[in-house]
Parts: sequence; structure tokens; C-alpha cells
Amino acid sequence: MATITADPATSYLTSENTITSWLLTRDHKRIALLFFASITFFFFVGGIAATLIRLHLATPEGLLQPDIYNRMFTMHGIVMVWFFLIPSIPTTLGNFIVPLAIGARDLAFPRINLASWYVFNLSGLLLLYALIMGGVDTGWTFYTPYSTMFANGYVIAATLAVFINGFSSIMTGLNFVVTIHRLRAPGMTWMRLPLFVWGIYSVSIVMLLATPVLAMTVLLVAIERFMGVGVFDPAHGGDPILFQHIFWFYSHPAVYIMILPAMGVISELITCFARKTVFGYTGMTYALMSIAIISFFVWGHHMFTSGMSIYAGVVFSLLSFFVAVPSAIKVFNWTASLHKGSITFDAPMLYALGFILLFTMGGLTGLMVATIALDVHLQDTYFVIAHFHYIMVGGTVSAYFGGLHYWWPKISGRLYPEMWARMTAILTFVGFNLTFFPQFILGYLGMPRRYYTYPPEWQSWNVLSSAGASILAFAYILPLGYLGWSLFRGERAGPNPWRATGLEWQVPSPPSPYNFERTPVVTAGPYLYDAEDGSFTAQNGIVNA
Amino acid sequence: MRSLHPEIQYATLSQQGETAQLGMWVFIATETLFFGALIFTYFVCRDAYPKEFAEAGKDTVLWCGSVNIGLLLTSSLTMVLAIDAAADGRRRHLRYWLLATAALGIAFVGVKGFEWYLDFAHHDVPSIDFILKPAEAPAGELFWVFYFVATPLHALHLLIGLGLIFYMLWRVRRGDLSPAYFAPLEVVGLYWSFVDTVWIFLFPAIYLVGRS
Amino acid sequence: MKTSATHEPALLYVIAWLVLVLLTAFNIGTAFLGLGVYGPVVQFGIAATQAAIIFILFMRLKGPPSLKWIFAGAGFFWLLFLYGLSTTDYATRQGWPS
Repeated sequence: MATITADPATSYLTSENTITSWLLTRDHKRIALLFFASITFFFFVGGIAATLIRLHLATPEGLLQPDIYNRMFTMHGIVMVWFFLIPSIPTTLGNFIVPLAIGARDLAFPRINLASWYVFNLSGLLLLYALIMGGVDTGWTFYTPYSTMFANGYVIAATLAVFINGFSSIMTGLNFVVTIHRLRAPGMTWMRLPLFVWGIYSVSIVMLLATPVLAMTVLLVAIERFMGVGVFDPAHGGDPILFQHIFWFYSHPAVYIMILPAMGVISELITCFARKTVFGYTGMTYALMSIAIISFFVWGHHMFTSGMSIYAGVVFSLLSFFVAVPSAIKVFNWTASLHKGSITFDAPMLYALGFILLFTMGGLTGLMVATIALDVHLQDTYFVIAHFHYIMVGGTVSAYFGGLHYWWPKISGRLYPEMWARMTAILTFVGFNLTFFPQFILGYLGMPRRYYTYPPEWQSWNVLSSAGASILAFAYILPLGYLGWSLFRGERAGPNPWRATGLEWQVPSPPSPYNFERTPVVTAGPYLYDAEDGSFTAQNGIVNA
Repeated sequence: MRSLHPEIQYATLSQQGETAQLGMWVFIATETLFFGALIFTYFVCRDAYPKEFAEAGKDTVLWCGSVNIGLLLTSSLTMVLAIDAAADGRRRHLRYWLLATAALGIAFVGVKGFEWYLDFAHHDVPSIDFILKPAEAPAGELFWVFYFVATPLHALHLLIGLGLIFYMLWRVRRGDLSPAYFAPLEVVGLYWSFVDTVWIFLFPAIYLVGRS
Repeated sequence: MKTSATHEPALLYVIAWLVLVLLTAFNIGTAFLGLGVYGPVVQFGIAATQAAIIFILFMRLKGPPSLKWIFAGAGFFWLLFLYGLSTTDYATRQGWPS
């Protein structure tokens, strides 16, 4: 297929140049870039908090006053969970790619898409206000009765920021669900959808069904703190554990909000860079949907030691084992997809391979903490912290960077410098493991989380972790450099530099404002790669040698 | 009358209209969970303290709640008649039924406001002016916490619905709606009937406790 | 394309409205009957019936597209998980109610 380089004047980036054409855009691609900016900003805010935490924990004496340390880990959690991990892949890569991948000209509700960005930033401003005014020290989980009655800090501002942020999530999820149901191009049946789109669809369902419960939860916390009386207050007959029930009813599915789109990205990367179709496509779609649904049944595993009934604990522990099964199926299928593939180790593939290992480690340790007998010892230790960072950072952030590099040519019209990107991917992997593996050991040894100090005999593990964090920080800053450079000096990309099969690769890089001149007709399933001779069939049916 | 084209991502106006309605149904599902979570906390407490909740519930003003549910049920009727008038192109009827719906909604707000005034008079407002009756202590105050979270939230949703109705009236005047495309009105109608449904569930929770 | 001739007659909605009002009156009546533990079951059951009439008739769940049913039911169905699984705690916890 001849390389078609788009006339830069007609791409979505250059078609209009005024500020209002960006701030009042309805184009999903521009809105994706707006979200990129916000997400990146909050990633660094949360990252600064993490840096301060690891600097503090390098010695038992620490750097920060205990009260400030508490505010630091709280803000790290709140920012990273709601202002980076949950929105990251859906609002950036999802917004940009999903309409292209299904053959649509935009999402179903472009104005709601733009509104969700403004709502997101409004919630971010409110959170920054809380942070600058002195912060919150409850932990990102806002447990009662501390948050409602005893905490000094800007609890009401922080909870209202989370409340408003929830609207942004709901708007995003609503848009994707309706779009994927109704705006698929002719021939794009459900079972021909790329797994990235299935990932976005499944995550949107979770966002829609879980976030409203969070909204009510944080609203009740704010009201109880404001009024001095409420349903979480034992003195009035209320139940502090009730807070944990409704909080974790959202927050457990929330962690699957963080991983489902990442899993979707990984399927795209593995297939493209192994030049093979995915093993077990149907199983992969069922796995994504099962994870989304079963994720709602397991929240009590955060509450084994809270005072909840032990019988409920047994039920939740069993259900938590079930939710691991579809995740494991996905790991097996990715591995099988690699088998006999023609693998190239471009940066996206390096991130994907890292994901598979780190997600597996995170998942297996999840099973360990889902076991009540172990969790009694591991709850609220660094073991849990290591477990969830393996999934969220080793998993989601790796997938985010992998997807970012994969779709960078499509989004920007430029190729990034491959050697810099590969080095960064490897550096990320090394830095990550050095940061978080020692934390498994610290947790096993008994170091509690959210403590500003620790016994001196654990310092060497903490130093290793902090050293790893410094490498990780550097590895996260590097892409700002070389991706930014590529915008001005990178080689211009053709429509399909990776020779991939998705519909998004059949249009110019960067795409024109309305995506497709004519609505494509889909005649092929996804990932029709031939590992033997390198040919592939795009989803619009065109065979490429 | 303006000529209507579907937005670029839609092939036909009909697809656009049906998709808009689907979007509102998705939103309604989220609102179901939002209010459902609140009602869940209500049930946890009521189940644990049935006598105290019954005692607390005696103070609610049944006639206000009953009039209000009557007003809202009627407003769902007037709304659906407005939508059918739009489908038939009967513009005058459309405006009258919309105005009727708005009037019923405003009446609801009026009755609710008066009821809150009565609740103040009975010293049933937690944290601001609350006197605990001996038979309802201490969990009875949680009934009133639920009441003063649920009813303002519902009223807020209703006010937004009123705003949407007035916005529809404005669009009707501009000639935006026609039998060929009146999906915005259908979407507002869905939202309005949902606000009605929330009250249908709040009604037994608030007004039918402790009456026997 | 939706045409003007395809909607139900107004009388149907008036009758439905009447049924809703009568159900409300009936609901209020049951409150005075002293049904004890079954009171909320009956009352919320009546409320659910009223909601079903509103959803299916007034909110036109009957009409196309049939996808609406899934979205309409999903919220209520999901609440069952919240209520149901939490009950495993509240029904078996020693020390609740406090």
C-alpha cells in the first residue's frame, strides 16, 4: 500500500488554530489532547507527593513532620486514583481511538465529552484548593469516624472534589457505552471489535454502575462532618463500617476501572508486535466482561479486619478467588498469542511484556491477600501497597505508556525516537521492580502502611525502594523530553507505520477532523496478521502484503 | 421552522433521537444507583432500629407527602401528553401541557417548602434545631438525617427538571421541535418521569413509617 | 422515522394515572394496618409496581430500541448486589445493632 502522508493543513491539529477552537471543540481527538494535558499535570502532582514520601522514608527519622507525611500519602492516593489512573486511558487513548476504531466520525455526545473535561478540571481545582490550604490526612479512603469527626483538614473540600470528579467519570462512561452500541460502522459486529474497544466498553459499564455509589458515599461523609450527625456515627446508632461497605462497593470496581482499559491496550500491542491474531478472542471478550461484573461482588475483601462479620468475610474471600480467574485467562491467552509469533521489541512491545509479568505478580499477590488467614497479617502493611502498585503502576501505567507510544504516530503525525523509547521502557521496568519488590518483603516483615517511621533494622529495604523510585521518576520524565522533541523534529509518520489492522490505521496520521471521508465498511475481524510472511488484512478488508 | 440535519456522527435524525434517549436511560441507571445507595443506608439503620424509626416517622406530614406524590404523578401524565402533542404537531397543546407540567412541579416545590417549615416548627431538623423525643433516641435522629438528605437532593433534581422544561418551552418557541424531530423533549420527559419515580420510592420510606 | 400516528391514545395514560393514584391511596392505607415487619415489603412492592407502570408506559420502555430495557433494569439489578452482599455482614455480625 502506498504511503500517504496527510496534507498537514487538513488534519484535526491544524484545521483551526484559535484558542476557542480548542477550548470549545467538539472533536473527540482534540478533547483527548485536552485530557492528556490535565492527566499529565496531575500525574506529576501525584508523583511529587510520591517523591516526597520516598525521600522521607529513606531514613527512619524522615524528612517531614508526621502530620505533613500523613497529608502527603493522602494526597498521593487521591490524586493518583481519581485524577490519573481512573481517567488516564479512557479519556486520552479511549477518546482519541474508539471512534476511529469503530468507524465513526465522533462519539455519540461530543458536547458531553467536552463538558466532562471541564468538570474534571473543576474537581481538580477544588482538590488543589484543599491541597494548598493544608491538605487532608485521612488517607485516600476517608475512613469514618476519623474523616467525619476527628480529622483536621479540608475533608469537605476534598470529598466534594471527588464528588464532582465522579460526574466526569459518569459522562465519559455514558458516552462510550452509547457510542459503542449505536455508532459502529456497517460490518463492525460486536465480535469484530478490537479488544481495546471491548476494554473501553467494559470499563464504561463499571464506571456507570459504581461511581454513583461513591458519589453518595462522599456526600454523606461531607454532610456528616458538616452537621455533626449521620449514619456512620455509633453514638447515634450508626455504623462506621457502613461507610466502608458503600465506599468499597465503588472502590473495588474502581481498581478494575484502572486495569480493564489497560488490558485492552495490551491486546492491541501483543497482536501487532507479534504479528499474530490473539489467542482466544471470544474468551478474551468474556474475560473482560466477567471481570467487570464480578468486580462488584468482592469489595468486602478490603474489610476482613474491620469488624465486619467473619461469615461475610468468607463469602467475599471466595468471590475474590473467582474474580482472579478471568484475569488469569487473559494472561494465558496473551502468552499463547506470543507463541510462534514474529516478535519485534519496539517500545510498545517492551511495555506490554513488562505488563504481563508485573500484572501477573500483582495478581498472584492479590490472591494472597484475598486469603483471610494471610490477610490478617498482611492487612495495612507494605505487602498490600506492593500488591496494588504492581497492578496499578506495573500494569496500568505500563499499558498507558505502551499505548501512548503505539498510537503516538496516529495522534501526532510523528514518529518518536525508538532507541530512547526502548531505553526508557527498560529503565521503567528496572526502576519499578527496585521500588516495589522490597515493599513485599517489608510487608511480610510487618512494616505498617501510612506510618511516618519504622524500626531502623528495616532501613536497607526502604533505601532500596527509594533508590528505585528515583530511577522510576527519571524514567517517567524522559518521555516528556523525547515525545516533545518528536513533535517538532520527529520523522513524519505515514498512516500505518506499524502495519496494524485496526480502522484507525487506515486513515492519515494525524487524522482529518471528521475521521473518514466515507464511513468504512468492515469485512474482517481484528488482528488478521500473518506471522509467516508479515502480511495482514485490515478491518476494511484490504489485504496488505 | 429551521431545517434539521443530524450531527456529523449520525446517519439520520432518527438514529440521533434514539441514541439521545438511550443516553438518558444510561444516566437514569446511574441515578438509580445514587438514590439506591442512600436508601440502602436508610434500610440498614431502619432494620437495626425499627422502633426508633417508627417513632421518628410519626412526625412526618403525611398530607404534604401525599399531595406531592399526587402532583408528581399528574405531572408525568401531562408530560407524556406534551410529548404526544409534539409527535402530532399540535404546538398549542404541546405548550399547554408543558406549562401544566411545570406548574405541577412548582406546586410540589411550594408544598415541600411549607413542609420543611413545619419540620422546623416540630424541631425535627438535625444539628440545626432538633429535639430528641425519648422514644426515638438515639437512632431516630438518623431518620431525620435521611429525610434532610433525600428531600433536598430530590428537590434539586426537580428544580433541574423545571429548568429543562423551561428550556424546552424556549426551543418550542424557536421552532426547533417538529413531528420530524422532537427527541430533546422525549429526553426531558424521561428525566422528569424519573424524578417522579424517585419520589415514589421516597414516599413509603418517609411517610409510611410508624403510622400504625 | 417516528410518525405522528404511532403513539398510544391519551386515554391509556389517563387510566394508568388513575391506577397510580389508586395504588398510592392503597399504599397509604396499608400503613395504618399494622403489618409489622411485612409493612415495608408491601409498601415498597406497591412503589415498585408504580415505578414499573411509569417506566414501561410513561417512559415508553415498550417502544424501540429494546436495548432500553437493559439500561433501565441495570441500576435496580445492581442494587441487589449492594443490598444482598452487605446483608451477609449485617445479618451475621455480632454486635450489630450496637
